[in-house]
Amino acid sequence: MRRKSSLKHLRKDWILYLMLLPGMLYFIIFHIIPIVNMKLAFQDYKIIGDNVWVGLKHFHLLFSSPAFKDVLTNTVIISTMKIIFIFPIPIIVSLLVNELRFGPFRKYVQSISYLPHFLSWVVIAGIWISLLNPVDGGANVIRNFFQLPSLDYMTSKEHIRWVLVYSEMWRSAGWDSILYLAAILKINPSLYEAARIDGASTLQQMRYITIPSLMSTVITLFILNLGFFMSAGFDQVFNLMNDSVLSVIDILDTYVYRIGILNGQYSYATAASLFKGVIGLILILGTHFLSKRITGKGVW
Amino acid sequence: MKHFSMSKTIIQCILFLFTLAVLIPLLNILAMSLSDPNRVNELSGLGVIPKGFSLINFEIIMSNPFILKSIFNSVFITIVGTLLNIFLTAITAYVLARTEFVGKRLVLVVLIAIMVFEPSMITEYLLMKDLHLLNSYAAVILYKAINVYYLFILMRFFQEVPNSILEAAKIDGAGHFRIFTQIMLPLSKPALATLALFYGVYHWNEYFRATIYLSDPNKWPLQVVLRQFVVTQDNTTLLKGVEGMTPELLATLDFGSLQSATIVVAVIPMLLLYPLILKYFTKGTMDGGVKE
Repeated sequence: MRRKSSLKHLRKDWILYLMLLPGMLYFIIFHIIPIVNMKLAFQDYKIIGDNVWVGLKHFHLLFSSPAFKDVLTNTVIISTMKIIFIFPIPIIVSLLVNELRFGPFRKYVQSISYLPHFLSWVVIAGIWISLLNPVDGGANVIRNFFQLPSLDYMTSKEHIRWVLVYSEMWRSAGWDSILYLAAILKINPSLYEAARIDGASTLQQMRYITIPSLMSTVITLFILNLGFFMSAGFDQVFNLMNDSVLSVIDILDTYVYRIGILNGQYSYATAASLFKGVIGLILILGTHFLSKRITGKGVW
Repeated sequence: MKHFSMSKTIIQCILFLFTLAVLIPLLNILAMSLSDPNRVNELSGLGVIPKGFSLINFEIIMSNPFILKSIFNSVFITIVGTLLNIFLTAITAYVLARTEFVGKRLVLVVLIAIMVFEPSMITEYLLMKDLHLLNSYAAVILYKAINVYYLFILMRFFQEVPNSILEAAKIDGAGHFRIFTQIMLPLSKPALATLALFYGVYHWNEYFRATIYLSDPNKWPLQVVLRQFVVTQDNTTLLKGVEGMTPELLATLDFGSLQSATIVVAVIPMLLLYPLILKYFTKGTMDGGVKE
């Protein structure tokens, strides 16, 4: 009975399936097939003929490779630095912007601070390489003003990770504050009125009303950020990388690019990708359920 | 009633300094590109006013056939890519949001799975190779033909269109395709404009897939060429094929300024659209709660 009615629907709604077809073809060809093809991690790639199954060979190679250990360490260090030093900044920005009255200055702050988000990492790399120029870059102008010697940040192993942190902060501090600002605007204004009548200062209102109301957004976004932990910002590293600092900022994705796309070790690189994907999946699913337990809201 | 508040003044100062930190590096690049090449070394790394004024850097860049071609390539990829994005996203969103069909649940589950697990860049590259799409614009455009996040945003928008409108059309005998093209699309113009901006910004800024999929430099978009100049510091391409280039002229040029001018050219379309972007992106991000 049910089956019959489904079949009837199928015939009646053929136009519906026709409309769905291009989208589904796209997802199957460009998403599902490359995911299924990641079985290549368990095979040897052959240019001619079928790939040969080799079990965990490439994973054994991967985990015994010192290069892979370095890359993994760099990824973890860079992601951790970014979470510790960048994550709180948009929250602070949103709290500060919220204190501004609606008017031209508030509009100016928002328009300017969102701008870098819309620039590509190629453009941002160009701007930052110029800013950090060892001879006359802006950063060294400031250093010299304080009687400090000039530094070549871009080729310094000691400083390059901080360049990643600061340039990411420069790009996203403004834009990432939007979601917090949206959450703040949803807070019931009568709370503030009551606090003002009780004589609460700006700082006290922030401390006892705004920040507690923001907590669920903070937790959701923190967890979402953890989900991208293994990525550590490929586009950024890819464009700010140079040979002198490769050893300290080479991350999983740049490693996959180099050994896979450039050197053609497809199976080995796919094994590294699969490792990253599985860890990322565990983090995302884990944080999704954690988020559901803490805030009652999933990540999606 | 006006009253002076110490903490508000401090907050304004902090935020003003913050905007300066964002603006000065940008304006410094602009000042460098507009400075007289003979005087650009007088410009401080924090300077925002050009030393002298000259458009020579832009003239050189605009007379480099390689760069001109890349600008054209970027415009082409952005326009064709965005049109395809909008068409595919809208038609898929309509079917998923407004109709019932066998297998819909499965499709939605698969879409969420796609959001959570990305394929490897290696298998994506090999797929393009197997499909013989390497070195064609199709690879760059098809790679992100539908963004699942944007698809969900549009589905949410479509779901809010009142049922009564669609029912009326159905009674008049309109099929799904007619309802989609003649009712849904016109009603969703603001949402579609938002998505067009989302996708347009993505295409204009895209460089990585173009780098690995397009081996012929004549097919490169501007971002890849820019990367060649500022990241790889390849100055020969910057001047290759520029008409009227003499050793005397070359001696007066400043490579930093030429690179800056290329950066400015790559940013200009974004700046022109920025008022629209601000309006739609801010709204879209706040409504959708999606970060991208």
